[in-house]
Amino acid sequence: MRDFESYKDFMEKCSHCSYCEATCPVYLEDLLETHVARARMELIRAVLVDEEMPVTDRFKEIIDRCLLCTNCRQTCPVNVPVEEIVIAARNKLYKGKRMGMIKRKLLKQIMENRGISGAMGKLSSIAKVAGVKNIPDIPSKSFDDQYEAGTYPPEGEVRAKVVYYAGCATNTMFPETGDIVMKVLKKNGIEVVIPEGLSCCGIPAISEGDLNTASEMIKRNIEVLSKTDTDIIITDCTSCGMTFKEKVVNSLDVDDEFKEKAIAVSMKFREITEYLMDIGLTEKIKPVKEKVTYHVPCHRGWSETVSDAPRKLMEMIPDLTVVEMEHPEKCCGAGGAFFMENKELSEGIRSKKTGEIKQTGASILITQCPSCRSYIGNSSDNDLKIMHPLNLLLLK
Amino acid sequence: MINLGKDLSRLLSKDKVKTDPEDLYSYASDSIRYYAKNNPDAVILPSSAEDVSTVIKYANKNSIPVTPRGAGSGLAGGCVPVDGGIVLDMKRMNSIVEVNRGNMTAITEAGTVLSNFHRAVEKENLFYPPDPQSMSVCTLGGNIATRAGGPRGVKYGTTGNYVLGLEFVLPDGEIINTGGTCVKNSVGYDITHLMTGSEGTLGVITKVISRLIPLPPCKKTIIVGCKTAELAAQIVSTITANGAVPAMLEYISQGATGFLNSYIKTPLISEMEAYLFLELDGIESQIENEANKIRSICKDLGVSDIRVIEDAKEAKSYWDARSKLQPILQSFFKKLIVEDVTVPRDKFPELIRALPEISAATGLLVGAAGHAGDGNVHPSVLLGEVNDETNKKSEEAVDMIINEAISLGGCISGEHGIGLHKSAYLEKSIGKRQVELLKQIKKAIDPDGIMNPGKIWTREAK
Ligand SMILES: Cc1cc2nc3c(=O)[nH]c(=O)nc-3n(C[C@H](O)[C@H](O)[C@H](O)COP(=O)(O)OP(=O)(O)OC[C@H]3O[C@@H](n4cnc5c(N)ncnc54)[C@H](O)[C@@H]3O)c2cc1C
Ligand code: SF4
Ligand code: SF4
Repeated sequence: MRDFESYKDFMEKCSHCSYCEATCPVYLEDLLETHVARARMELIRAVLVDEEMPVTDRFKEIIDRCLLCTNCRQTCPVNVPVEEIVIAARNKLYKGKRMGMIKRKLLKQIMENRGISGAMGKLSSIAKVAGVKNIPDIPSKSFDDQYEAGTYPPEGEVRAKVVYYAGCATNTMFPETGDIVMKVLKKNGIEVVIPEGLSCCGIPAISEGDLNTASEMIKRNIEVLSKTDTDIIITDCTSCGMTFKEKVVNSLDVDDEFKEKAIAVSMKFREITEYLMDIGLTEKIKPVKEKVTYHVPCHRGWSETVSDAPRKLMEMIPDLTVVEMEHPEKCCGAGGAFFMENKELSEGIRSKKTGEIKQTGASILITQCPSCRSYIGNSSDNDLKIMHPLNLLLLK
Repeated sequence: MINLGKDLSRLLSKDKVKTDPEDLYSYASDSIRYYAKNNPDAVILPSSAEDVSTVIKYANKNSIPVTPRGAGSGLAGGCVPVDGGIVLDMKRMNSIVEVNRGNMTAITEAGTVLSNFHRAVEKENLFYPPDPQSMSVCTLGGNIATRAGGPRGVKYGTTGNYVLGLEFVLPDGEIINTGGTCVKNSVGYDITHLMTGSEGTLGVITKVISRLIPLPPCKKTIIVGCKTAELAAQIVSTITANGAVPAMLEYISQGATGFLNSYIKTPLISEMEAYLFLELDGIESQIENEANKIRSICKDLGVSDIRVIEDAKEAKSYWDARSKLQPILQSFFKKLIVEDVTVPRDKFPELIRALPEISAATGLLVGAAGHAGDGNVHPSVLLGEVNDETNKKSEEAVDMIINEAISLGGCISGEHGIGLHKSAYLEKSIGKRQVELLKQIKKAIDPDGIMNPGKIWTREAK
């Protein structure tokens, strides 16, 4: 990965304008400027670059209390890669060992298996029954169980061919989303290749600053994906998309021979909704008599169209009523596994989101991010249906 | 020995008091990094005027300096705690208490973010025109304390024109209410407008009563490319002289246009020495009328690059880019010194003409972007390297800019306030007697000098 020192220039690019105060979900909860990107950059420089301040528990807390949501970066006039700097800071601080060994091992295993499935899935249900909170429901059959690696021809003429990268969350938490992706592609004349031997995209390890584990996952994926022969690799998950587009290359060592391959693979990544809006749907769209609202995932900055596409799709669906919430782009507070360690903070962020959703009167919430679907879905104060935009095409 | 953190935690609640070194470090400067000198000794996040009063009483008793702070987006070092002490971060006091349609007024807490306030009043079809470009973060309290303006100043004036009353905590801790919700008021000295622009040196604004106007139903953006800076200046003065009053009339010099192109669809042409960004607002027929007037003025002066932007999203992209200009420029240079001089509107061309000469005389880049329509320009001195020599040269450049503006009948600040940045030039701008008057007023209201010391005037005059 880029060595920590090389982020110094990026930190210096920060013009101190304070515009990041407008969108940082962590800062907006307690309104303490220490938590906003401007101050984070100054502190990281003072503690880890210039070493004029010591590493303290408070400093660690500040570095840990970042969702890596990229909202600051998207607001920033000069595109300071704040979340990458925070990741690099975590890497420098913890050397990949922020969590205890057992947790680290478990995480690695989950990443290798692309999610919690099989025996681990059962374990999580037992844990849930036993009262362990914050564990999502795990369906008994993963996407991998339903769709073996191979090539899946479409109905009728082949209009295009894509590789489908189904990430951890789709594989084990939301296999029905994967199923819907497969069905929609099939109906719309697109041949799908599911490669053998994929791993997690690496974002959980990257978030921990554990770049060694991340590069293991990345290399495995790049190896597999660079052997496929399509121009497009689709994902239904905006965080996997962001990781492949923006994080994979920077997480490898500067002189890593994988870099070139990684760049080639990363160029091919598209989110499924934006891809379909580009190529067009051939299958007639059925009416949906529902009121929906769209939550824009934080990890949208990697593509210009990833947040327009669901809106475009919703416009095409007869009878569908779309109501925008006041701040569709505001974070839900999940941040991958962030909410587990920062319960109160995340719940505060989430309750603002669910309040806005409620105000729209929508019965369905649409969003591409599985982490948001799970976390918003687990809030007690709403009984919404929550789904990926593509679900709208197959609603019964 | 006093223990600030402990004492204040006892007086308020723990969550409102921060004394960890990391938190203190985060409150050392505003938008201009090089103003950071001292950390505060405590950061307090009050949630009511009573909290503020409690803190001030404590500070008064113990002679501790208090520096109010909004978003810390200031460009004059106003919220920098030069003597340490307490920084009062006002942003948790952010509720919009009332938007009164019948009276066209609003009451808000001082920490309310300006763009949130805009949204709230516009929902009621009302309009609060002041629009500092930092509106997504800056607070109403900060705006009032600096008398902030923005592009819409040309037609609608600045913050001061919309303040009807304040809730204010005096330096002895007493909470007073000045002005009120009446749109007329002729009772004694105008304390409300004395506090407006007081930059935190006379006390703490906790609530604001604002005047609102009806929301103009339509708007239109026009972009004009000018082959010479002279021509741009001429267009500005001809538009004004012809009685067309755009809601915004912004001037952007050649050096800056390239930086904006990544944000807009149709690139600005690099050969143009200057661009004018205009927004017209009002009822449709009036806008059409003004647009035609502006078109024919431009044509008569031989301008061909006139873009009338019909698409609202595209129009927004120009204004978004404009609002990012200063931070973008800043990121390309080691140091950027933003001035805020304002000259009578008809003297705008002369000021623009002087800038290349100042640049040539000092060998430094001097750019200009600003609110041309109201004569408020932000000449910026841009340093690629910071060393003794460039620092000295930049001081010379700033001297020249200020002297030029004053000789044209202008003032040293149109909207940013004096803070630390321009205190050395205060006397030059308003004269010795007025500086003395300011100090006497300060002494009368804040005899122990606890409120935001070291600002507006220098301790040792230059
Ligand atoms: C990119 C950029 C663009 C900008 N564009 C403009 C512009 O177009 N027009 C313009 O006028 N300014 C502009 N500014 C400057 C700045 O945003 C304004 O000065 C704004 O009014 C500051 O508000 P704030 O809440 O950030 O106040 P701060 O910077 O926190 O404080 C400013 C001053 O107000 C005092 N203060 C703050 N709150 C209170 C209170 N409640 N009671 C008493 N005193 C208080 C402080 O002590 C300080 O002296 C810009 C700044 C940036 C970074
Ligand atoms: S990545 Fe998100 S949480 Fe972290 S500093 Fe930026 S906006 Fe805040
Ligand atoms: S928005 Fe970007 S440049 Fe501005 S203070 Fe935040 S990180 Fe720095």
